Amino acid sequence: MNDPGRKTILWVIATLALAMLPQLVSMPLAVALIAVAPLAWRIGSERSGWKPLPALVRHGATIAGLAILFVSYGDLAGRRAAVSLLSVMLSLKMIECYRIRDARLVVSFSLFLCATQFLFGQGILMPVYGGVTVILALVTLTQLQRSEAWSHEGPAPAVRASITSEIGFSLRLLALAVPICMALFILFPRLANPLWGIPDTTLDSKTGLSDSMSPGSIQDLFMDDSPAFRVEFAGAIPSTDQLYWRGPVFWRFDGRTWEGSFYFKNIEATSVPDLSGNTWEYSVQLEPNERNWLFALDYPATTPPDTRLTLDYQLIRSQPVIQLTPYSIVSSPDFVDMPELTGPLRLQALDLPEGRNPRTQQLIRQWRRETPGDKAFIQRVLQHFNNEPFRYSLNAPFLGVHSVDDFLFDTRTGFCEHYASSFAVMMRMAGIPARIVTGYQGGWFNALGDYLLVRQSDAHAWTEVWLQGSGWTRVDPTAAVSPQRVESGSLSALGTPRHVLDYAWVRGVRNSVDIVQQRWNDWVIKYGAGQQARLFAPLGLGEMTPPMLVGVLAVAILVFSAVVFPIVMRIKGPSSKDPVQKTWQKFLKRLRLAGYRARPSDGAMELADSASRFLPAVSGPIHEIADLYNRSRYAMEPPPLAQFKQAVRVFRPNKNRA
Amino acid sequence: MNSTVISAPENPENPENRHERLIEARAAVNDILLGKDQQVSLAFCCLLARGHLLIEDVPGVGKTTLAHALARVIGSDYQRIQFTSDLLPADILGVSIYKREKDEFEFHPGPIFSQVILADEVNRATPKTQSALLEGMAEGQVTIENETHVLPSPFFVMATQNPLDLVGTYPLPDSQLDRFLLSFSLGYPDPTAERELLTTEDRAHVLDRTTSLLTPGDVKALQDDCEKVHVSENLLDYIQALLQETRDERWFETGLSPRAGLALLRASRALAFLDDRDFVTPEDVKTVFNGLARHRLSPTSGFSQSPDEQIQELLGQVPIP
Repeated sequence: MNDPGRKTILWVIATLALAMLPQLVSMPLAVALIAVAPLAWRIGSERSGWKPLPALVRHGATIAGLAILFVSYGDLAGRRAAVSLLSVMLSLKMIECYRIRDARLVVSFSLFLCATQFLFGQGILMPVYGGVTVILALVTLTQLQRSEAWSHEGPAPAVRASITSEIGFSLRLLALAVPICMALFILFPRLANPLWGIPDTTLDSKTGLSDSMSPGSIQDLFMDDSPAFRVEFAGAIPSTDQLYWRGPVFWRFDGRTWEGSFYFKNIEATSVPDLSGNTWEYSVQLEPNERNWLFALDYPATTPPDTRLTLDYQLIRSQPVIQLTPYSIVSSPDFVDMPELTGPLRLQALDLPEGRNPRTQQLIRQWRRETPGDKAFIQRVLQHFNNEPFRYSLNAPFLGVHSVDDFLFDTRTGFCEHYASSFAVMMRMAGIPARIVTGYQGGWFNALGDYLLVRQSDAHAWTEVWLQGSGWTRVDPTAAVSPQRVESGSLSALGTPRHVLDYAWVRGVRNSVDIVQQRWNDWVIKYGAGQQARLFAPLGLGEMTPPMLVGVLAVAILVFSAVVFPIVMRIKGPSSKDPVQKTWQKFLKRLRLAGYRARPSDGAMELADSASRFLPAVSGPIHEIADLYNRSRYAMEPPPLAQFKQAVRVFRPNKNRA
Repeated sequence: MNSTVISAPENPENPENRHERLIEARAAVNDILLGKDQQVSLAFCCLLARGHLLIEDVPGVGKTTLAHALARVIGSDYQRIQFTSDLLPADILGVSIYKREKDEFEFHPGPIFSQVILADEVNRATPKTQSALLEGMAEGQVTIENETHVLPSPFFVMATQNPLDLVGTYPLPDSQLDRFLLSFSLGYPDPTAERELLTTEDRAHVLDRTTSLLTPGDVKALQDDCEKVHVSENLLDYIQALLQETRDERWFETGLSPRAGLALLRASRALAFLDDRDFVTPEDVKTVFNGLARHRLSPTSGFSQSPDEQIQELLGQVPIP
C-alpha cells in the first residue's frame, strides 16, 4: 500500500543519479563513494529483494556521511561542500524511501540539486543537461502519480505507454512552463551587485595567461582549445598580423622566468592615444579566467569601467574575471608608446642576471661590433633566427641554467616564448631596451556570427624594443622563424597534430559551432541588471525600476496563466494506445473536424451508420474504415495494420464534403 | 393434448450450405411476421445459442405465429401449451397409465417432449406447474416417477407472459426468469407492415405454404458452429465493463450474474454468426444486451424509467474500449 513499486523506484534512482552526476565528478573520492553507495544498495535491494535496513544502520550511515563530508571539506560552508551535503543526504534518503511521498520528495530535490550546477558553470551544455534532467524527473513524477492513483487498489497496472510517449508528455508539460520561465528570466529584477558575496573562484573557468612566463608556461595553453574571448568589431577586422591581443607585460628576467613588476602594474599610463587618427572599435566577451587582465589591441585609447591602464598599456581590472565579462574598447594602432625612455625605466629594460649565457654574450658582443645601428642589429638577429635551422615546435627540450645559450646554440627548437625570451635577452645584452609582452595572437573569424574567436591555444609571446623615435616597437621573433604562426595561427604553424582529433577540419567545425556558445553568452549569460533596466527603452519607456519590473512580471504571468490553464486541463497523460486505437483516434479526429462527434459508447458500425447520415458523401470510406477497425480489433485474424492505416490516411471528410 | 417423441431424420444432404439455409429460414420467418426483423433475428439467435425465449406482450401481435413459423422452417415439431391456473405438471410432462393387457404402466409423454414449444401465458399457471416446465428447460430432461426422460434436441421454448393482466397470475420469480436467455416484446407493427398485413393474404396461408429449410440436425450443427465464433480480449473487456456497470447500484437493485455474463457471450456469438461473421463485435453485444438484461434486472426504486430505458441509458454510459 502506497509503495511506489520497484520499477518506479529505479526511475527515481536514475533521476537522482543524473542530477548528482556532475557533482560526483568533482567530489573527493570518499564523498563520492558515500554518495553512490546508498544508490547501489537500493538497486541491489530492488533486484534481489533485500530487506530495508534497520533504523540503527540508517542513522549510523547518516552520521558517517556527515563525518566524511566534514573531514573532506573542513567545514560545510562552501558551495562545493554544501552541494555535496545535499547530494549525500538525498542519496542516503534512498535507503529509507519506501513511500510515494518520500520518492516524490527525492525527485523534487533532485531538480534542486540539478539547479545548483548553475553555481559552477553556465556554459551552453548546462541548459541541455538541465533539460534532460527535468524531463527525466517529470517522467518519474508521472510514474509516481500513477502509482499513487492506484495505491488503494493494489499495484498499478502495467501501462503500455511507450517511452517516447512518456517523454512526449513531459516535453509538453515543459513547453507549457517555458513562457513563465522566460518571463521570470527577463523580468525578475536583477541586482547590479549580488546580495551575497561573490565566490572568489568560478570552478569552470580556464586559467588563462599567468603573471609570469617561463619556458613551458604557454605550451600548456597551447593544448587548450577552450575559448579565451570573442570579439566583435564595429568596422573592418584588422589584418591578422595586427591582431596582437596585449596582455601581461614582463620586464624582469631572472635567467629563467619573466615577471611583471608590482611597481609598473600600479603606475598609470602617462599618455593615452587620442581618437583622431586610425582607430579600431570593438567589443570583447572575455571568458572567466580568474585573472585581472583584459585584452586589447595596441594601443587601448579607452578604458572599460573598473579597469586601469598601466604605464606599459596593460588593462588591469580591479576584480579577477570570474564570469563572462563584456567590455568595449577603441584602439589606436598608430600611437607612439613612450617617445622618451626615462632613466629608471631604461635600467629596468636592460637589466639582466649576472653571469648567465656567456656564449650568447660573446656572440652579441661580436655582432654589436659589426652592426652598431639598433635597427640593423635587430634585423641581423632576426635574420639569424630565419637562416639558421631553428624549428617551431611544441616539443621543446628542457633548457638548463644558461637557457638562452642552450636554446640558441644547441636545441634550436621551441616556440613563441623561447624566441621571445631569447630575443629580449639578446637585445638587452646589446644595450637595446626590451620587454616581453604576452597575450593572444590572431583568432578565428566566424563568418556566420561575424565575430572573432580567440582560443587559449592562440596564446602568444612577443617582444617590444624601445627605439629612439618610434618608442616601444613590437618585434615578433617567432614570425621570423615561422611566418605561418602569425599569418594563419599557431596551430597551422605546427607540422603535427597535438592529439588524435587535432585536424584542421575538426578545428574548423569546432570554430563554427562556437557560434552557439557565443549566442548563448550574448542572449542569456550577458543579460544583467543593465540590459533589464533598458528592456523597454525601444518602446520609449526609459529605465525600469525593480517594482515596475515586478508589476510587468505579474501581469505577464496572469495573462499567460489565463491562456495556458485551459490547455493544461485538456492535456492528456501518456497514451497507452496500441497502433490500431491510435489510428482509430485519428479517424475520429478527422470526423470531429468535419463536424461529426462520435459517442464513446457507439460501436464502430453504429458510428459508421450515424456518421454516414451526417456525411453521406464519404459513407463508403467510413464503413470501410469501421469494418477494418472491427476486424483489426476483434477478429481472430486481423487485416494488415498498414491497410487500416492507409484507409485512414486517405480519409479526408472535409474535402469530399465540399 | 397429443404428444409425439420426435427423432427427426438426420439430414446429411448438403450440410455445407446450412448457414445459407439458416439465412433463408430467417427470411422466410420475416415474410410471415411482417416488420419484426429484429425480433426474428433475436429469436433465431436464442435458438442458436441453445437458449429459451420469453416474449412479453399483449395477445394478438403474432407470438404464436412467430413460434409456429420458427418451428416450421427449422423442420421441428411444434407444441403449444396454453397455461391456465388449473394446469397441472402432468399436463405438461406426461403421465404413466396402467395397461391392463400388458400389466404395466406405460408412459405417455406430455407436450414438453417437442422440439419447439410455445408456452402461452406462462404466468397464469401455478408456480408448481411453471417449475415443471422451467426445470425441463434447465436440465434438458424430466424425471417422472423415478424415470428420467431425455427431452428432444434441439429443444427450444418460447414462453409468453401478458404484462398487463395481473389479476390471477403468478409472476415468474427472478430465479426462474434467469432460465430464459432473451426476452423481448413484439409490439405493434409499424403502419407499413400493418397495411401489408391487412391487404395481403392471411398469414396462416403463408405459414402453411412454408416448407422446412433446416433439419433438427442442421440446427444442432449450427449451434455447434456458433461456439466457434472468435471472441477477442478487447471484446471481453467490453463485456466485463458492461457487467460491472449493471452492478452499480445507481442503476439496478442487483446486477447481472456471472451466468448472465456467459449467456451474453453465447447470445453475442450467435448474433455474430447470424450476421455471417466469425468474430464478435461490440455491436453484437449491444444488440443482444437489452433482450438479455431486461427480464433479469429491476431498476432501483425511485426511478420512473422502464427497464428498457434504463438499459439503453446504461449502454450509452459504457465506452467501448
